[in-house]
Amino acid sequence: MDTPPQVDPAEQFGVVVARRLGFGFWIAAAWIIIIVTAAALAPWLPIADPNETGVGGRMDGPGWSNWFGTDSNGRDMFARTIWGARVSLIVGFFSVLLGICVGGTLGMIAGYFRGIVDRIISFSVFVLLAYPGLVLALLIVGLAGQTLPIVAMTLGIVAIAPIARLSRATTLAYSEREFVAAARVLGATDRRIMVRELLPNVLIPMGALTLLGMAITIVAEGGLAFLGLSVEEGFSWGKMIVLGSSPRTLREGPWVAMFPIGAMFVTVLALNFAGDRLREYFDVRELGIGAA
Amino acid sequence: MAGSGAIQMRDSDEVVLRVESLVMEFPAGRNQVVHAVSDVSFDVCRGETLGIVGESGCGKSTTARALVQLPRPTSGTVTLDPGADGQVELTGIEGEALRSVRPRVQMIFQDPISSLNPRRRVRDIIGEGLIIWQDQHPDVDVDARVDEVLRAVGLDPVVAASRRPHEFSGGQCQRISIARALAIDPEILICDEPVSALDVSVQAQILNILEEMKERFGLTLVFISHDLSVVRNVSDRVVVMYLGKVCEIGNSDSLFSEPAHPYTRVLLASAPEPSTVVDASEVAIGDEVPSPINPPSGCRFRTRCPRVTELCASAEPVMRKMGPDHFVACHFPGSP
Amino acid sequence: MATPLLSVTDLQVGFATERGLLRAVDGVSFDLAEGQTLGIVGESGSGKSVTAKTLMNLLPSYARVEGSVMFDGRDVRAMAAERERHFWGVEMTMVFQDPMTSLNPVKKVGEQIAESLRVHLKRSRREARDDAGDLLQQVGIPEPKKRLTQYPHELSGGLRQRVVIAMALACSPRLLIADEPTTALDVTVQKHILDLLDELREERGMAMILITHDLGVVKGRADQIMVMYAGRTMEQADTATLFSEMRHPYTEALLETIPRVDMASHSRLVPIPGSPPDAVDLGQGCPFAERCRYCSASCLIDQPSLEQHRQGHACACHAPVGTDAGAAAHAANHETGVTPAGLDMGTFATAVGEKT
Repeated sequence: MDTPPQVDPAEQFGVVVARRLGFGFWIAAAWIIIIVTAAALAPWLPIADPNETGVGGRMDGPGWSNWFGTDSNGRDMFARTIWGARVSLIVGFFSVLLGICVGGTLGMIAGYFRGIVDRIISFSVFVLLAYPGLVLALLIVGLAGQTLPIVAMTLGIVAIAPIARLSRATTLAYSEREFVAAARVLGATDRRIMVRELLPNVLIPMGALTLLGMAITIVAEGGLAFLGLSVEEGFSWGKMIVLGSSPRTLREGPWVAMFPIGAMFVTVLALNFAGDRLREYFDVRELGIGAA
Repeated sequence: MAGSGAIQMRDSDEVVLRVESLVMEFPAGRNQVVHAVSDVSFDVCRGETLGIVGESGCGKSTTARALVQLPRPTSGTVTLDPGADGQVELTGIEGEALRSVRPRVQMIFQDPISSLNPRRRVRDIIGEGLIIWQDQHPDVDVDARVDEVLRAVGLDPVVAASRRPHEFSGGQCQRISIARALAIDPEILICDEPVSALDVSVQAQILNILEEMKERFGLTLVFISHDLSVVRNVSDRVVVMYLGKVCEIGNSDSLFSEPAHPYTRVLLASAPEPSTVVDASEVAIGDEVPSPINPPSGCRFRTRCPRVTELCASAEPVMRKMGPDHFVACHFPGSP
Repeated sequence: MATPLLSVTDLQVGFATERGLLRAVDGVSFDLAEGQTLGIVGESGSGKSVTAKTLMNLLPSYARVEGSVMFDGRDVRAMAAERERHFWGVEMTMVFQDPMTSLNPVKKVGEQIAESLRVHLKRSRREARDDAGDLLQQVGIPEPKKRLTQYPHELSGGLRQRVVIAMALACSPRLLIADEPTTALDVTVQKHILDLLDELREERGMAMILITHDLGVVKGRADQIMVMYAGRTMEQADTATLFSEMRHPYTEALLETIPRVDMASHSRLVPIPGSPPDAVDLGQGCPFAERCRYCSASCLIDQPSLEQHRQGHACACHAPVGTDAGAAAHAANHETGVTPAGLDMGTFATAVGEKT
């Protein structure tokens, strides 16, 4: 009698308790929306040209004319932070999208068909997982060049393995459900079962993962930047941080590194928080429906 | 416990489903095999309800799934309309051929919640079968048919159709499952423990609906349950299974009034409100059902049978006739 | 009458949910004498398990509990505050539906039983091991010596439940609460376990609360039966009285709706229409009114209180079965074809062709 089970009143009485995402989620979501909108509309916003030198003085501190100050070339840091978001978010979004399209599909195929197909895919995933992600990224970017699509694709490839694993596990769990058996008895084809019955269920954790994945890839892109492997043209937050973090710049104008760091920090935090809340929200919902 | 012998099979034009020498084995690692169903044979006549009863691990649900080839049995045959011109051996076809006969045999499951996709709306769930086969039957009005079956199972289409499964109680979910199976007008409906997950006050609603639907849509039912009283209530003919074998098979009235197999008698004596046709002292020995990986020799029930003798270990009993439609696989059948 | 062993008075248990207060148990009272068995019958959500868990002090801290629970003259709820360790598990103990909730999967059976003997009864290691073997013998486990060294997963469901019972009995409790102890087991095993509990209760003069959803289970085993629905006591009587002079429409409906093995095939079951009510939004009136064929106008607005019809038989109903009021209400509903709650009386009539 060591561990008596706890009573969950809601579950016991079959009451579907209304779930909420909470205030924190909406703050996080608001931040994400602001930053995405600002990044998307950057060319049309009434801000300085991020590459124009001499907008302010060199290494001006934050103030009314340049909110985030200027860098050693006199470029406006506020404009640069917004423009930097473009690259960071594009890399984050498209790499995760690639990871989900490829990894999600592979995982579903492995989880649904099982057997030899599953063994081949799972083995490839293990190999990919065993290979250090950063080394892989170094290899690809080094060989294929430092353009935006290549960087995004590289990080996307690194994301395939973990996403495939999650997708496979989710698919396996749902394949056991009787509604899948019911669909087969009705005469549904494998493709129809995967698209109509499994996909909507697998997409939910994937959706939450998109946000978490973006957070990870934005940081990872920063990591690449430190190795000098970020995009060559244009700049991301990561590249800005690198540019702002020489000892001299840090001493004379810490804001040059601080604002992109801050932007990245808050964005990653918001993405993680929102993603986690979403995941929890849908998990609980799943329980409410009564997972066996 | 038997299985050997097929004397219980009927030779009638009315037989719509025939299961012969069904064997289901699953690998259990280290070169071991789970003998889930071993040499089971029975048939079902048109308009009849066949009840399959037994305790956990007896292979009743595996048998039910084997009827719809989920998964395909290890050996044995499952035949629709045996002897008729349109005879279809489900175990002999695959791919598109199997898919195209699937609508004829539908199934409802034990867990009302797990059997409905939480992300789809009731209208889509019930209409799924119709949409799959719309190419073959282009004149079917999907929405009208969905409304019709929803009403048939006692749900209001206006309220129910646009909702998702979690907005319904267990009993209502089971009604939706029934409606989904009925929408494509099957001949045979296999019910795998359809009421065991439901509250007692709701069970009777579902049992009554199944009876009603059987009449209305001219169905043949195969009804699987661990609950003798439920099986007794719905069935015309009953199969009693233990550890992958058939113990006793027969017409419901005859089987319940003169149970011949010691296991059937044990079941009747162990029910919360025991049957009056058996003695209260007829109980099983011990709590442990032997492992299906290494089932006992001879009669599989012998390790728990109150009437066990040496013969039971050495020879497997063969099905023998006890009455006009009553067969038992036991060396010492009848009342003790 | 001597002081009962356990006396529960006006027990109320609520849980705050976002939609409002969920009244899991609402005004439950009963007395249980030493050596007696009380059967609590109800469906999921009826509050039967919450009642048991309240007695065992197993509710989460956010549960709101009111009412008094006296065990042998001691206030159990006051004891909870003092963190009385040697009460639960020693004097009052519980067996759950799933034996694995009480067993540690990574510890040998013998160690688990011995542990509670050593903690509560201060036995030495050696004594505890010997006693554990004896206990397994008492609960009818074959080859007890061998079982002591096995892990729970090596045992069948029935044996596991026997081990749990042995653990519960280790400290010779005076009250054993069994919450659906056999629901997860096969019928052939179920009978063995229920018989075992009965024997042990008799041998040890222990009191027992047997919780189940099946009236048949308690019929031959309980001295008293309490039927619960939506957190409330619907009917309470000694067993013989309950089955011979059933008063509450819900009790009657439960009996009519469950098939029995001695009924003919295709006998029509009288369904209980609708589903159990939402425990957060019970509204006024009788919680069963919506599903009741004896429903009268007053049932919808006025919650019937639990009243003693005679010594030892209480029922919460405005129009009890077998009384003039009940007959009148039923006749009136039959006349109009619909109950005041809007239930079509035709639901109860024969809609399916009876074959027998």
